[in-house]
Amino acid sequence: MTASLGAVGVGFRSGRRMPASIVVCLVLLAVVLLAVLFGPLLFPDATKQDILSSLMPAGSPGHPLGTDELGRDILALTVAGAASALVGPVCVAVGSMLLGILLGTLAGYERGPLDFAISRWTDLLLALPVLLAAIVVSGVFGGGYWTTVALLVLLFSPSDIRIVRAGVLEQSARPYIEAAQMLSLSRWRVMFRHILPNVSSLVITNAMLNVAFALVAFSSLSFLGVGVPPGTADWGRQLTDSRAIMFDNPAAVIVPALLIIVVACAVNLVGDWLGQRMTRSGGLA
Amino acid sequence: MTGIEVAIDGIAGPAGPMVEALAFAIEPGASLALIGESGSGKTLTAKSLVGLLPPGFGARGVLRVDGREHPLVSTDASWRRVRGREVSLLLQDPFTSLSPVHRCGPQIAWTLEAKAGRRLSKRELDEAVATRLAEVNLPARVARAYPHELSGGMRQRVAIAAAIASDPRLLIADEPTTALDASNQAEILDLLRELQHERGMAMLLISHDLGLVRGRTDEVLVMRHGEVVERGSTATVLSAPEHAYTRALIAADPALALEADHTGDTARGLGHDDGADAGGRAPLVAASGVVKRFGLRTVLDGVDLSIAPGQIAGVVGESGSGKSTLARCIAGLEREDDGTIAFDGRPLAPGRRSRTPEQMQIVFQDPYSSLNPMMSIGAILREALAVGGRRPDEVRALLELVGLPVDAAVKRPAQLSGGQRQRVAIARALAPRPRLLICDESVSALDVQVQAQILDLLGRLRDELDIAILFISHDLAVVRRIADTVTVVWQGRVVEHGTCAQVLDDPAEDYTRLLVAAAHRDSTGRTPVG
Repeated sequence: MTASLGAVGVGFRSGRRMPASIVVCLVLLAVVLLAVLFGPLLFPDATKQDILSSLMPAGSPGHPLGTDELGRDILALTVAGAASALVGPVCVAVGSMLLGILLGTLAGYERGPLDFAISRWTDLLLALPVLLAAIVVSGVFGGGYWTTVALLVLLFSPSDIRIVRAGVLEQSARPYIEAAQMLSLSRWRVMFRHILPNVSSLVITNAMLNVAFALVAFSSLSFLGVGVPPGTADWGRQLTDSRAIMFDNPAAVIVPALLIIVVACAVNLVGDWLGQRMTRSGGLA
Repeated sequence: MTGIEVAIDGIAGPAGPMVEALAFAIEPGASLALIGESGSGKTLTAKSLVGLLPPGFGARGVLRVDGREHPLVSTDASWRRVRGREVSLLLQDPFTSLSPVHRCGPQIAWTLEAKAGRRLSKRELDEAVATRLAEVNLPARVARAYPHELSGGMRQRVAIAAAIASDPRLLIADEPTTALDASNQAEILDLLRELQHERGMAMLLISHDLGLVRGRTDEVLVMRHGEVVERGSTATVLSAPEHAYTRALIAADPALALEADHTGDTARGLGHDDGADAGGRAPLVAASGVVKRFGLRTVLDGVDLSIAPGQIAGVVGESGSGKSTLARCIAGLEREDDGTIAFDGRPLAPGRRSRTPEQMQIVFQDPYSSLNPMMSIGAILREALAVGGRRPDEVRALLELVGLPVDAAVKRPAQLSGGQRQRVAIARALAPRPRLLICDESVSALDVQVQAQILDLLGRLRDELDIAILFISHDLAVVRRIADTVTVVWQGRVVEHGTCAQVLDDPAEDYTRLLVAAAHRDSTGRTPVG
């Protein structure tokens, strides 16, 4: 059947405007990003404790969201927590994406023993429960924010490796790759100049999904007390610290919890939409 | 009022009107061919008659089946009463039009219950399916087979059985044989003709190939740019075309033109038969005893082939004969299990590493997947030029050499037509100045007109650049048009080898005769005597 028909249809669809839900998500993410950038200017001493003004309910003068047990302002704490909520997960997603691109491309293109070794390694990592492994390692090595980042990069990489490997396998069989081989191009050029751009939509979609997963994982670890040290501004940490005062100042728990859910959803939706757009306009048929 | 009447006021897409007003009628048991190149609107016309236009497209008009009126603008629910029962659609590609996860039997049976209006017992269904399969000359056991277990020709028969299962009044066949090889094409078309006569079913045959419809349809409608340019009885249109476009289509069709050559005794194709084995010049490529196995299957079983410098060597055979594997072994994309392949007198080890880009390049069948969709044409060609140690500004010269406009360099593959892409693939292959160009079914996916242009281009390149060409094809007419020598391959062995004229005009082997006869019948619609 005529390919031209399909092409016209696709052109018609991709000319469509951005859906409203995506606009809302992007605005939300922009606000969180602004909080990361300008939060420290707005609330320079967000984690300052003031025992005299502890446990004030939401709507109190000077404290629109109230304060917690230690007298920290919930609004200031939540804004300051945006940094830890966004930076870590983005680092995890980007790190595991880079690892995935490197190992996945090698495995998919080179095949043979290298593929076997890399694939068994990913199987091994996939068999580990992410949170449990993170808790154990943090417990043994003393935890800390960047240790958690490094650990999550490792634990998140199998999905990237597998997705890249599958995409590369699929592309490698295509005639344009054989044409590149006929030109005796170096394997690195074939892998990274020819194949990689054609699997990039998969990679980027997966990285966006990983940001959302990592945000939840980070918050869970902080909630369990192994992610960030006590006293740090962090949404997960806020949940665990304010559990006891849930009925004195509900905002102390509801606001960070809601933010975790909303930001994770927004990142997911944007990632999905981006992937669809790239598949439509890009080469992956 | 029996028969099919179609009156389309117009079909419009997101980019504007695509098809002008057109009307036609088909009597029960009669057939009409809709001919045109890709983009002429023939497929849109067909799809509008089953309500399957792509999103963003709309048709106005009416379809009358035995006097029952079906407006073309309609709801999905009312289309469902038309599809299958009044009109069935048979698609081009038997490889994708059947569901890979279902056995063939259920796929034929799907429409039967809807037609009967009640649940049928398993026995009734089995019997009905066996009857349908017998009608398309397939054994009843095919019902239990999955599509991937069948050959292309058999799959298309299953698709036909499914399309006629609910006894439609009109069968629309959209390029039903384009994906098949020559001998299967003829059989499928003859089968369709037979079924039509038996059932008094009208048929609308969509094709880009005028030669194919000769003797197989009653009337022809030639479309171009969404407009009907010529219509009439098939014999009249083919023998005395009125419109210049129809004449161009006939001239571009190697099989039809061939017939004109024979009757008019005019010049032959591009090959110079007399210089066939290029006496005296040592062979550029000499393959001997090449064996290739995939698992337990022996695809090449001791094949010999030699190509002289500057020669166009044709290799013909049906799909599955091993001809492409031979080309890929020579190119180093497959590793032969046994035998030797020598280039310029020096034996080459199996695989790509022992070969240089300056020795040989390949042009593949599918111009859609042989160019990297994420790279611009300029980037693709510059990369290939760099390999040959040539300057990047030679892109312009390269584009001119293959007859592409200079502004093609800034475009992406998706912005070019199939023929243009194939020209880019040829330009890329020529960039390192190879001494051998391997064309693996390089024109099979193209319209006849574009096919003729690419063949002319290859002939011209051979003369200008003095390169040898290994030309793999299932299409005898195409090979005759371009090749100096022909090697016939069947089941992994060379059946016959010689100059184009020797082999194709006076075949010595039974199999070659069969191929030539099938190709001939294909172009004339007659079964040859003897």
